[in-house]
Amino acid sequence: MTKSIDTSIYAAVSEAIRAEAQRILSDGTVTAIVGYAAARRKGSAQPIVISSADDAAKLIFTPACVNNLAVYLTKAKKEIPKKGKVGIVVKGCDLKALSGLMGESQLKREDLYLIGVPCAGVLASTVQPATELTSDSIAPKCTECDAQLPGGCDFVPPQAPLTPGQTRKYAAEIARLEALTPAERWAYWKEQFSKCIKCYACRQVCPFCFCEQCLCDRNKPQMVDTTPRPAGNTAWHIVRAMHLAGRCAGCAECERVCPMDIPLNLLNRKMAKELKELYDYEAGFEVNDKGPLNSYTEKDDQSFIK
Amino acid sequence: MSRIGVFICHCGENISRTVDVERVAREVGLLPGVAFSTDYKYMCSDPGQNLLKKAIQEQKLSHVVVAACSPRMHERTFRKAVEAAGLNPFLCEMANIREHCSWVHENKEEATVKAVEIVGMMVERVKKNRVLPTITVPVTKRSLVIGGGIAGIQAALDIADAGHEVILVEREPSIGGHMAQLSETFPTLDCSQCIMTPKMVDVANHPKIRLYTYSEIELVEGYIGNFQVTIRKKARSVDEDKCTGCGVCMEKCPIRKIPNKFDCNLGMRPAIYVPFPQAVPNTPVIDRENCTKFKTGKCGLCQKVCGPGAVDYEQEDRLIVEPVGAIVVATGFDLYNITEKPKGSMIKGYGEFGHGKIPDVIDGMTFERLASASGPTGGKILRPSDGKEPKQIVFIQCIGSRAREKGISYCSKVCCMYTAKHTMLYHHKVHDGQAYVFFMDARTPGKAYDEFWRRSIEEEEAVYIRGMVSRLYQKGDKIVVMGSDIAVGVQVEIEADMVVLATAVQPQAGADALAQKLGISYDKYNFYSEAHAKLRPVECATAGIYLAGACQGPKDIPDTVSQASAAAAKVMTLFAKDKLEREPIVARVREAGCVGCFACKKVCAYGAVEEKEIRDRQGNLIKVVAYVNPGVCGGCGTCQATCPSKCVELDGYTDEQIVAMIEAL
Repeated sequence: MTKSIDTSIYAAVSEAIRAEAQRILSDGTVTAIVGYAAARRKGSAQPIVISSADDAAKLIFTPACVNNLAVYLTKAKKEIPKKGKVGIVVKGCDLKALSGLMGESQLKREDLYLIGVPCAGVLASTVQPATELTSDSIAPKCTECDAQLPGGCDFVPPQAPLTPGQTRKYAAEIARLEALTPAERWAYWKEQFSKCIKCYACRQVCPFCFCEQCLCDRNKPQMVDTTPRPAGNTAWHIVRAMHLAGRCAGCAECERVCPMDIPLNLLNRKMAKELKELYDYEAGFEVNDKGPLNSYTEKDDQSFIK
Repeated sequence: MSRIGVFICHCGENISRTVDVERVAREVGLLPGVAFSTDYKYMCSDPGQNLLKKAIQEQKLSHVVVAACSPRMHERTFRKAVEAAGLNPFLCEMANIREHCSWVHENKEEATVKAVEIVGMMVERVKKNRVLPTITVPVTKRSLVIGGGIAGIQAALDIADAGHEVILVEREPSIGGHMAQLSETFPTLDCSQCIMTPKMVDVANHPKIRLYTYSEIELVEGYIGNFQVTIRKKARSVDEDKCTGCGVCMEKCPIRKIPNKFDCNLGMRPAIYVPFPQAVPNTPVIDRENCTKFKTGKCGLCQKVCGPGAVDYEQEDRLIVEPVGAIVVATGFDLYNITEKPKGSMIKGYGEFGHGKIPDVIDGMTFERLASASGPTGGKILRPSDGKEPKQIVFIQCIGSRAREKGISYCSKVCCMYTAKHTMLYHHKVHDGQAYVFFMDARTPGKAYDEFWRRSIEEEEAVYIRGMVSRLYQKGDKIVVMGSDIAVGVQVEIEADMVVLATAVQPQAGADALAQKLGISYDKYNFYSEAHAKLRPVECATAGIYLAGACQGPKDIPDTVSQASAAAAKVMTLFAKDKLEREPIVARVREAGCVGCFACKKVCAYGAVEEKEIRDRQGNLIKVVAYVNPGVCGGCGTCQATCPSKCVELDGYTDEQIVAMIEAL
């Protein structure tokens, strides 16, 4: 049954973002702001970097503001002149990625001005941007969201999103796959990976894929077959999932940008579930110096030692 | 183009029994890059090494693979030989065809094929070996000795006499350890205090020894030649510089009935005390748990009577950082206590002996205090319960030790001898008394040891009963000892006045925690592990840390002193050089690719990874990357496994080499 989701606060949120952007750009708190602006198609949105208070009016927040802007502070950081603090508009899921990046020495909190967005959800990548936000059109990641209100930001508009109970889409799919036999599960993933064309869009959009040279691009030695064939595809997707284990915040950008509709975030969620069960670890707003896979405590699960 | 020489060792028959070494030499000789291959009965022998050196020169070899035993055994040997022949030692690798092949297989055909593959892998790996320059690090010529018992004292004196500064740290208020508690010592029966206290005074007066008593190790950082040790000097509440050791404070202290640990709780001491009159330093310490001033804020008598004004209630723990180049661990032992099951210990209690609730059942150390002229009874052997002289005394050996069912399988080594000594001391002091000993078997290897044991039976009239005791219980003022005499095959029941248990020698409480601070390994009983049971008995696997005394395993005084001097000799060997050469198997960062996530820094157990700024010619910061300090790096490779973009690699174990090895299969 389709349930509508209340996005009425988004207008007030957009207004508050614009006012705050106007203020911090005028008084020099920040030199630039990464945010969302309206795009050409009706109802659509795109990332924008503004450095003038006059452009503050361009900023919006709508259910079409799907991108995780954190990526603009790492890989695309050369686009932004590093002359001072940078403001960034963040949803809860994006903020988790920023916290992870701070923990991995890629960003410093004092270099950022965080404008948090109270978010009731954004649209799935499979629907038109002007669609109304409902329990059908909402992005699957938003059905599992526990971060509608970002914490620890410099500014959060005084609005609270209404969050009706949702069917957890990934949890349901993971449960379905876990019930399969290993052979059936392997067949499922083999088929999914066979679709991969090695465009690496998932890598480019991921805030955590910040390496200057990806392990999978190296040829001395060649770790991963670079051609889009089964061995290389499988290797790539396993490397990607393993490297994100204990780091991925679940923004699901990889899945959104995948032209072949491979359920990449499903793998990420499964890894997150394992990390939760093994190490009681979940990506959150707090900055952790050491992730669960980089640290050892005596309480760690030892059952793999036989 | 590589000109690799491959040298296949027979290892006597160890390898050639299951591997056709001649065929291996023939087949690997055909591999691309291999210019020379041969086999020999003992490659590690002098003729074997000469063969290798000669081949390097005659065949103009560029790399060497020695297929023999484990690199842990002879890598150093062969690298030295290669170096002598003019090649960089790190162009030599070992293929382990003994532990990994001949010892674990029976089928000669299959083992031979496997040996060829193992050698083939190492051939591919050695092709990508780089010339590595030896790393030199400076040596701080000061040593830390942990523990002020006879082991620590001997090691400290030896090192200090060689002219090097020593920091001696002792947990208790006085040095001396367990040896200071003993009455007489086997096999000569000379008084322990008489031979011990002069050494203690030597330590106190030695210009090269800095003594920290009532102090513990807080933190150990650094590596061989360059340790930074943080010592917690606990608040003594008495200023060591002002105190003259007159003892007035101890006389005036109104709290007098605190059991003295040094006397195994038989004697009493005041709240401000020295553990025993010959203590070094002779500076009292206030036991803050029992002192009225600390409990209620009133009293303060000791401060009032102290002439030099040395009593200081405000004193706090102090942390002192000492740079040292080597560490001798000499933390000694403790006796297993049958009264309580130690926390976390695998040892089960002794319910059949009344769990230590019978007052006249004591352990060997308590007997030492009773027999000691400086002990609570002035050397008279008296029962703790009523102060009467025991006329029948039973000694029981192997309490805890050699008792797998109780959780300890090792032999405590000293009990046979000290029980024999106890029967003699008893006989000397209680002429009309009778000593019985229940024993499994007497272990008396050592100079004049067996003669000593026989003397206790033949001249001192001790009755040795081969068999164990099943139960002890109190009956009136007697203790009934129920045991068996397996030599005769009868049950024995003795009504004893006192029972002495030879309880197991165990490491000190907290030995595991100290090992973790030092980064040294220990066994399941918490005894510290030596690097090699036979050939490196006083060295830890962690470079620059040495072991002395019973912390490594049960030991008597002669063994302890020998080991302490051996550890001191190792320290002096280290200090004989100004610079220390170390293996250049260290991690290196490929700075061009490093993205500065510092995952490597977070996982490095050695603290070797630092942050390094990369700047352009104008001095603008381009990025911050990881840098591995080669002096600190332990070469474990954890960083290499952790780096997401594979930008840190261990020399000699690069990804390229590992992949080449896999591809050779």
